[in-house]
Amino acid sequence: MLNAIISNIVKDFRIEFRSRFAVNIALSFAAITTLAISLTAGGVRLGSQTQAMLFWIILFFSAMNGLAHVFTREEEEGTALFLRVTSPAAAVYTAKLTFNIAVIFIIAAVISPLYVFFLNVDLVAPSAFAAAVCAGSLAIASSATVLAAIVARAGGRGSLFTIISFPVVLPPLWVAIGATRASISGSTSTEGVIFLLAFSGALVAVSYMLFGHIWIEE
Amino acid sequence: MLITRLVYIFMPTAVIMAFCYAPAAAVLGETSRLLYFHVPLAWISVMAFAVSGVAAMLFLADKKSRFTRMEDSFHNSASLGTLTAVLATASGSVWAKLMWGSYWNWDPRQTSIVILLLIYSAYFSLRSALEGKPARGRLSAAYIIIAMTAMPFFVFVVPRVFPSLHPDPVINPDMKIHLEIEMKLTLLISVVAFSLLYFYLLEILNRLSRIRNAVEVQHHE
Repeated sequence: MLNAIISNIVKDFRIEFRSRFAVNIALSFAAITTLAISLTAGGVRLGSQTQAMLFWIILFFSAMNGLAHVFTREEEEGTALFLRVTSPAAAVYTAKLTFNIAVIFIIAAVISPLYVFFLNVDLVAPSAFAAAVCAGSLAIASSATVLAAIVARAGGRGSLFTIISFPVVLPPLWVAIGATRASISGSTSTEGVIFLLAFSGALVAVSYMLFGHIWIEE
Repeated sequence: MLITRLVYIFMPTAVIMAFCYAPAAAVLGETSRLLYFHVPLAWISVMAFAVSGVAAMLFLADKKSRFTRMEDSFHNSASLGTLTAVLATASGSVWAKLMWGSYWNWDPRQTSIVILLLIYSAYFSLRSALEGKPARGRLSAAYIIIAMTAMPFFVFVVPRVFPSLHPDPVINPDMKIHLEIEMKLTLLISVVAFSLLYFYLLEILNRLSRIRNAVEVQHHE
């Protein structure tokens, strides 16, 4: 089982390293939207609530561009069937979840300094900001991975992934915005981060139970 | 069938009680009669979602084919849930306009029902995308369960994001209905009547699905 997980993770990272499709698209989208907001704001200093909202909207839509790719690629390239035969469903899910967490962390690591730089954000509590970004990203990746598997089985149609993800991702998005706003204002409260970790745990647990039904062909 | 008879007794009783038995509320006046339709509709929209979730779980857990019709049940329940959520939103908006001065205020209950409508809309979008695929039942059941897992988190989050405007007599921290006895009885009868109506309609829809499936099987043969 552990070998299957590791080999799947290595495979996914190797394929991504060759094409860099998911990360490139997500990062380009994030950079364009950050610059677009900065340009249209015209140097105006935004309030902490607006800054937090815009930051998470950019991160959410950038992630939506990259996170579904891990499953749609398998279906498009016809490798899903081999994966079903060679690896247990739990190993596939664990590998894809790890890959998606890595992808969203890379996106967040690039967007955060860009956003702080271009939108003149004064971070009073940088460690609380980092904790909110990491926990929020983890919550988005945890819920989006299983939904990406569903969308891939549905033929990976365009905006379907965003449509079905949005209602599920809304609670962590709200809390992440609140925690980010608080961190920009200087609060170091951990309540939001704990909520995001609990949400991630619940979604991952349910996803493990459901993944076999989603992934295996009858 | 017992449920049919009960619906025919409870629904007219609820309507008559709402208009003739229950008194108008002190501040809200005659508009308070909307309570006996708006609250049961909102209740059914949530109950339908819970029934969909349970039916979806039974459908996925069913390895011995004991619950073969659960796919139709959770889909039909979601359809009824969508209809009642739309009606609850519409009746609530009319009431909000009369009481608070605008149709929409992002009150926690309004926000919650919008989220429920978003989930239903996402579910139907997914179902349309899976048209003709053998995995349609399993994938849409999985989505309902995932959405149901996220639901308790909304209960925690939404009241913290939006302050409530909803009246205290029905929705309050001590979880008691602070209404006059006639109003409380009418509301109770109305909730029971609408719940029975939901199960009655669900049964009719399930029967229709069975007929449609049988016709399709015959057509393929």
